[in-house]
Amino acid sequence: MRYNEKELQALSRQPAEMAAELGMRGPKKGSGESGPGRETGSGVRRRLVKLVVNFLFYFRTDEAEPVGALLLERCRVTREEPGTFSISFVEDPERKYHFECSSEEQCQEWMEALRRASYEFMRRSLIFYRNEIQKVTGKDPLEQFGISEEARFQLSGLQA
Amino acid sequence: MKLNERSVAHYALSDSPADHMGFLRTWGSPGTPPTPSGTGRRYWFVLKGNLLFSFESRKGRVPLSLVVLEGCTVELAEAPVPEEFAFAICFDAPGVHPHLLAAEGPAAQEAWVKALSRASFGYMRLVVRELESQLQDARQSLALQHHSSWKPTASCCKPQARNNRSVVLENGHPLSKDCSPVGLVEEAGSRCAGLGLAERELQGPASLLLGRGQSPVSPETSNFSTLHDWYGQEIMKLQQHWQQRAQGRQPECEEQDKP
Repeated sequence: MRYNEKELQALSRQPAEMAAELGMRGPKKGSGESGPGRETGSGVRRRLVKLVVNFLFYFRTDEAEPVGALLLERCRVTREEPGTFSISFVEDPERKYHFECSSEEQCQEWMEALRRASYEFMRRSLIFYRNEIQKVTGKDPLEQFGISEEARFQLSGLQA
Repeated sequence: MKLNERSVAHYALSDSPADHMGFLRTWGSPGTPPTPSGTGRRYWFVLKGNLLFSFESRKGRVPLSLVVLEGCTVELAEAPVPEEFAFAICFDAPGVHPHLLAAEGPAAQEAWVKALSRASFGYMRLVVRELESQLQDARQSLALQHHSSWKPTASCCKPQARNNRSVVLENGHPLSKDCSPVGLVEEAGSRCAGLGLAERELQGPASLLLGRGQSPVSPETSNFSTLHDWYGQEIMKLQQHWQQRAQGRQPECEEQDKP
């Protein structure tokens, strides 16, 4: 799939929702176990982790360009050991990116932020609020913006 | 730069709603300057959220390209060759080339330009925040109305509850049945007498939550089920309350209709 790295790099320089230095460990390479007591995945690396819109960028602490990016749509954020959470994706939930935080508080904060960091989450919120306002006031709040017919805001857009 | 491409492709193909789709002609590919020659190549484009994907065809199973629609503007373009219905996605960032695209007609061009202009995360976030605050205002003013108009009276009311399943709010607008937490309220409420009572008292908890600074409206799954449980408990308490009163003395009736 072709994409413009420069677009992503530019995005990574945008103001972040959250940014912190965390310990990061990517998913184990290959599938399944490779043998007792052997860790084939990468070790924990210090990374500057930055949440910008629905992307999580991670940088080596002394570099200006990110090592990588994770699109956060359809991701699952799970608590692991104390102070640690993981991100995985719906189509492969065992393939986890681990993040080690410096405190429980920080871990909690990140988990909350990441859960809300998808476009699909915002879409659901919007549809919910629109519906609720309509019930309370009898009016469609999107009419004032002239966007009530936009596909992205329709109730039918609610999916599991 | 690494990207979780497999997950991105999965999202592109998933059944989450597409915000727009159609055939567009394109010149060059993401990351290369557009070569303004020829009629371009025609691909099937799908817009999901702030991501624009292209596919070989409508049935394509592998996205060919991705454009991230952040920090960009969409403008009608001077087409390369006398090409009609062209528009460009232009990025603020230096060194990022615009994406030149052409639709199949004026309506399609307009629709695409609108859809792409509203595709950014920031735009969606603004609208969500606006609605969140509108809902809070609407609920607070409704709660105030209820509290100020609450007058227990001994006047008789119709013994049977409405036998249809709609509950009428004070301002006369019926609740519609849907899968929101208030839908649950309505189903249980219709089985009891004193519908108006049920529904007014239930406004109380909502405004209490708002008062405590929590939003009851965050639609994460866990909060929906919390709301369901919580409304469910309220209903059970009210049912018990009415049963006790019915057994005890004459039920107090509330005026059902208010201006």
